[in-house]
Amino acid sequence: MIKVITSGLYTSIQDLGRYGFRKYGVPISGAMDLYSAELANRLAGNDPEEAVIEITLQGPTLHFTENTIIALTGADLSPALNGKSIANNTPIMVPKDSELRFGKPMYGVRCYLSAAGGIQSERILGSRSWYTGITHKGRLEKGDSIPLQSLPLKEVIPNASVKVREAHFSAMQIQAFKGPEFYLLPKEIQKELKRLTFTVSPNSNRMAYVLNSETEISAPEIITAPVQPGTIQLTPSGKWVVLMRDAQTTGGYARVLQLTEESINRLAQKQPMEAIQLVIV
Amino acid sequence: MKPPSFQRFGDRAALISWESIIDAEVHAEAVRWDRFMTENYGEEILETVVTYQSLVVYLKEGVDPDTFLKSIKASFKTAKQEESTDEHHLITIPVCYEKDFAPDLENVAHYHNLSKDEVIQLHSEAMYKVYFLGFLPGFPYLGKLNPKLHTPRKDDPRPIVAQGSVGIGGKQTGIYPMDSPGGWNLIGRSPLSFFNPTKQPPAIIEAGDYVKFKPISTKEFEHIHALVENGIYLLDKVPYHD
Repeated sequence: MIKVITSGLYTSIQDLGRYGFRKYGVPISGAMDLYSAELANRLAGNDPEEAVIEITLQGPTLHFTENTIIALTGADLSPALNGKSIANNTPIMVPKDSELRFGKPMYGVRCYLSAAGGIQSERILGSRSWYTGITHKGRLEKGDSIPLQSLPLKEVIPNASVKVREAHFSAMQIQAFKGPEFYLLPKEIQKELKRLTFTVSPNSNRMAYVLNSETEISAPEIITAPVQPGTIQLTPSGKWVVLMRDAQTTGGYARVLQLTEESINRLAQKQPMEAIQLVIV
Repeated sequence: MKPPSFQRFGDRAALISWESIIDAEVHAEAVRWDRFMTENYGEEILETVVTYQSLVVYLKEGVDPDTFLKSIKASFKTAKQEESTDEHHLITIPVCYEKDFAPDLENVAHYHNLSKDEVIQLHSEAMYKVYFLGFLPGFPYLGKLNPKLHTPRKDDPRPIVAQGSVGIGGKQTGIYPMDSPGGWNLIGRSPLSFFNPTKQPPAIIEAGDYVKFKPISTKEFEHIHALVENGIYLLDKVPYHD
């Protein structure tokens, strides 16, 4: 079991997402950066669909009440186990009664913590991903207990560490397909989109990222239609909104662009005020 | 009806869109396509969502949306179209329009120069088709609200609208299936539980169903609420066909 001593800024349990219920209006949820979440599972010897803990900028303090093997991927939030600094992207043996803390964010926004056998929280509608209204909780709180898979005592540490694509965190370019209402963008913006610089607004979360832009364009509302993670909406008041993993399933704003899967993962690691460019694939 | 447009919608989705109108015929056509694809392309499809005039097909990993679209366009043309045999229902939803549950009823009445009873009458005499669910888990998009009741959304959305609240937002009416922020004018509340993630299906209303609102008193609200809480409320739901 993992005991939550402090919760951090926004910590939740996520897997690959909740599929098959969008026709009931149920968001997919799941790890914001699926690339890093899957890597965390691989390092801990898990299947990719196991649940992991998603940690945002300011990490929690966690107490392990049993032996396990963990891996941390994604953002480097200066993790330390029992006071000793540990590395991302490598499996780590955690003895019973260890304490894991985080410090200063070095790069990225979201860090993933996997534990051997996967986090064993409730599975609802086929997924362990937390979403308020579907699962009992939306985010971790002080005092929570997170169930782990009990491990046989043999201490086999898969001793591989992996090299992570640096571009995953540093690339400024975010790739997108044309969206269903791409034609509503002014002609010159359609042609020169990549010349525009956007910055990630601090007002961004698991549901949506807001992009600040220097342009003053807008688009009319549309009849409510399907949206998905990665849909970029342009609103009548001129806001650029990128829907993320907890996004609703339908929406009434113009869907001007649709991010590639890889770009959703990359955007999930962009810090507030970081600059990005949108490039059409 | 104009033919639909086909386009890829990102890495793993295909989108079919009809003209931008809210119309029962157009929606029925999207539903026919949905059925055709689910029956014939189940291997490639993860899930689908139908809205007023769109159908999105979310594809399994490795299926290319452009190739998929090419294939369905060809086969749909030659496929024989059968009329819907899907079972749909008419569901009667008890709603208490009394003051405690209807903070905006008076404003709505005032806006239209109607009495509160006239608003209740107009709202509850109609039968509404459930076009699809979206916005929130279990939130039904209903058609069509009597134009005499069209009321602009509130300037300042409420931070919390209670579960079961029945509202009017612009040209639409709907029910909030869970507590959420909301900008619609609240004219009543239902004691029913509309979404339960531990049930299959999780929503009591599904796309294609019809709903009707039945006015109840505060006392009846409390009675029904207690039955719902104890899991012994019998939903008024009868088979219904378009």
